[in-house]
Amino acid sequence: MTQFVVKPGVKNLKHDGEKLITTHCCYCGMQCGMHIRVNKKSGKVVGVEPRYDWPVTMGKMCPKGVTAYQTVDHPERIKKPLIKKNGEFVESSWEEALDLIENNYKKLQAEHGKNALSVFGGVSMTNEKCYLVGKYARVALGTRYVDYNGRFCMSSAAGGFMKTLGIDRGSTLPWPELEHTDCFFMAGTNTAECHPTTIQWLWRARDKGAKMIVADPRETPTARIADVHLDLKAGTDSALANGMLHLLIREGYVDETYVNERCNNYAGLKEAVKLFTPEYTSELTGVATEKIIKAAHIYGQSPRSVVMFARGVEQQNKGVDNVALYTSMALLRGQIGKFASGVATFTGQGNGQGGREHGQKADALPGYRKIDNPEHVKYVAGVWGIKPEEMPEAGVSAYEMFDEIQNGNIRSMHVICSNPAVSAPNNHYIWDSFKKLDFMVVSDFFLSETAEFADVVLPTTTWAEDEGTTTNLEGRVIRIRKVREPLGESKTDWEIMQLIAERMGKGKFFPYKNVPEIYEEFRIASKGGKADYYGITYDRIEKEDGVFWPCPDEDHPGTPTMFRESFGTPDGKANLPAVLWQEPGEVPTEDYPHTLTTGRVVFHYLSGTQTRRTQFLMEKCPEPYVEMHPELASQYAFLDGDNVYLETRRGNMKVKAKITKAIRKDHVFIPYHWGKELSVNKLTNPSLDPTSRMPEFKVCAVKLRKA
Amino acid sequence: MRKVMYLEFERCIGCRACQAACRECGGHDAKERNYVEYVDFFENRQTYPMLCMQCKDPACARVCPANAIQITEEGVVLSAMEEKCIGCRNCTFGCPFGIPKFDFEENKMYKCDMCYDRTQHEIAPMCASVCPSDAIRFIDHDEMMDLRRRRTQMNLIEGKKPSENNKWDYVPEFFGVYSD
Repeated sequence: MTQFVVKPGVKNLKHDGEKLITTHCCYCGMQCGMHIRVNKKSGKVVGVEPRYDWPVTMGKMCPKGVTAYQTVDHPERIKKPLIKKNGEFVESSWEEALDLIENNYKKLQAEHGKNALSVFGGVSMTNEKCYLVGKYARVALGTRYVDYNGRFCMSSAAGGFMKTLGIDRGSTLPWPELEHTDCFFMAGTNTAECHPTTIQWLWRARDKGAKMIVADPRETPTARIADVHLDLKAGTDSALANGMLHLLIREGYVDETYVNERCNNYAGLKEAVKLFTPEYTSELTGVATEKIIKAAHIYGQSPRSVVMFARGVEQQNKGVDNVALYTSMALLRGQIGKFASGVATFTGQGNGQGGREHGQKADALPGYRKIDNPEHVKYVAGVWGIKPEEMPEAGVSAYEMFDEIQNGNIRSMHVICSNPAVSAPNNHYIWDSFKKLDFMVVSDFFLSETAEFADVVLPTTTWAEDEGTTTNLEGRVIRIRKVREPLGESKTDWEIMQLIAERMGKGKFFPYKNVPEIYEEFRIASKGGKADYYGITYDRIEKEDGVFWPCPDEDHPGTPTMFRESFGTPDGKANLPAVLWQEPGEVPTEDYPHTLTTGRVVFHYLSGTQTRRTQFLMEKCPEPYVEMHPELASQYAFLDGDNVYLETRRGNMKVKAKITKAIRKDHVFIPYHWGKELSVNKLTNPSLDPTSRMPEFKVCAVKLRKA
Repeated sequence: MRKVMYLEFERCIGCRACQAACRECGGHDAKERNYVEYVDFFENRQTYPMLCMQCKDPACARVCPANAIQITEEGVVLSAMEEKCIGCRNCTFGCPFGIPKFDFEENKMYKCDMCYDRTQHEIAPMCASVCPSDAIRFIDHDEMMDLRRRRTQMNLIEGKKPSENNKWDYVPEFFGVYSD
């Protein structure tokens, strides 16, 4: 297979002694196309070259993407297994590390039962690895406790889409169509910072006169140029969406034919939104009524519109409701399943889409199957070669695993490709839980804050040292190529899971010699499921610039546009929600008078394990800060750059003030990419969504004083 | 070289990918030569990129007492030649755009050379290649002129629009004559 993929007539700069290998970025769900420069003699990764002909991103990259390659040959890489002896990490052999894991795992399971072990996965890994995490937990370790960091990222979108549309595919339309959209309704997405390479499509549409409506407590770069900026209070999205639905119905903007033919519960929705007059919506959200009305008219009159949202609406204790309501805006306008229109969520993690479909979730099995469905269990057990009754029952969600640790049910955790010591809410509780574990294993290529708690750290490879597939935010399955040999003694995550499986006496279930063998099994495991990858092969991905799932057989063209004819629900109709107003988990009080919201900056990715080790990114954004309006700042006599002490009911921190009018007067914002004393997640509220079990990172009550 | 750099300040989203990319260019010693600045962060998040204008008669070269700043036959204004640069920093003061940078350790000036190793082969410079918002573009001179005309035209169309979202209804009747 070709390593360097380029279309005729496209020029790239090649240096002498270097080769270019085509792959995608390791960071967010955009999965920007790039070529990596490799020194032919040393095999080292030396640079990056734009992939001008990748149809989703056209060579564009953000600063994280440009510098992504620098984490590969990085001096801080862990190259040998580390074992903690007397509180210090000591380099050891794989043999010794695996012996220790085997002994502890077997001992704990003998004393406390199979479910004493747990696995905490992540979705910044290939589909092959994510698929294997579920199998590793359930077959190799035989535990029900497996979940992943997508609970902090994508699970509300997944839950909302499942409920409303029946299938959870992040975007119902392919990205290049966005250029032809007339109106974007964007809620809780700071696209310019979190998914910068999408901006080219939005700006192109703007050039043609497309309208933009942005709902965000902060005036983000997209909000700044929006036709209407709905500057709502954090945690009031369901009210805003209900208000918009109310107006769409009142003003006659509903596509009645589409709704009658393709949706259930229109009457129920109508009844529920009756209450949400512009005045009431304004009262709840803090947005001026004129703005809400203007937004409804613009959105309602647009022939082709896309509703887009991201973590801002999803990381709430009503995230699933928010997603269902915003999705309904597209349904009432009859937009889903058509050209350049529909609904989309911005996948936060590189493989947030693929990684959540194939059984890393506590209640899910490959192909978006469910573990509580005996038919599904029977099929997957057949593929895995186990008896259906050997399949463990559903586990608990990511945050709830820490409750199980506190209760003494989980005695050991294997964290793979994740850093919950930074990224989980209510950090103090998480740190305390790690300390309570009898035995903890972390697979990572840097010594993350989570790895510091571990008894054994296993050195994994970066994305550039292994091949596989990922699924980008559109639902397009793409190829990650191996760029260099693994550094030092590091091993790929799938090899590590395989080695531990062998030690647990389950080696015969993990007979893989290479990644394509895992992919072949994975294709079969997903076959017939909602997320059907069976027809997608490495060859097709290369020839067709990626293939969109569902793709049930090799002759199937893939599905760039979802729901053209019917939805994924049993009756083929979309389910419109009827949702009443519900306050966020915490509202400002006299003691905690302001709202704290968290999010990303363009220079960092998730818990910052990689980006905080990249020189350029650290020069541009070395530490967190608290963003606030000058009116709020003057109440406390804060000047720009002053130290601010923030406290919530769970924790406190000290950061520098950054003063700007581009935020609501009653809100403060802190980015979350730092660990330990700089982690804002010490303060955040673990109020969980009842369906998706997503914590409410975006809203909590806070008090301020001078530090 | 027929291609030119085209900047549209208001498209900039402040991601600094252009600066990260500038460091990646072969001859740039991992130092960026371009700028991205906030207009006024107190007010809002608008940023703008700034690069060398590759002047026809560059002030930096004119004020250089050592004739260290060379211009290629394509018109690209290069960094000061190492063997000639005397480290006087006249160029950094002379440039009306504030482009040349000064390396105090090496005692020499360095500046944007439009990624000469790329552009001499008609491959876009790194900054224009990666810019996610197309605020920086490397395009044909003709395309640039076309964009400039289209922009005025779009402004006229937008200005005439009587209500929201009717871009498909409206066709300018007669170019250039508008009154409300």
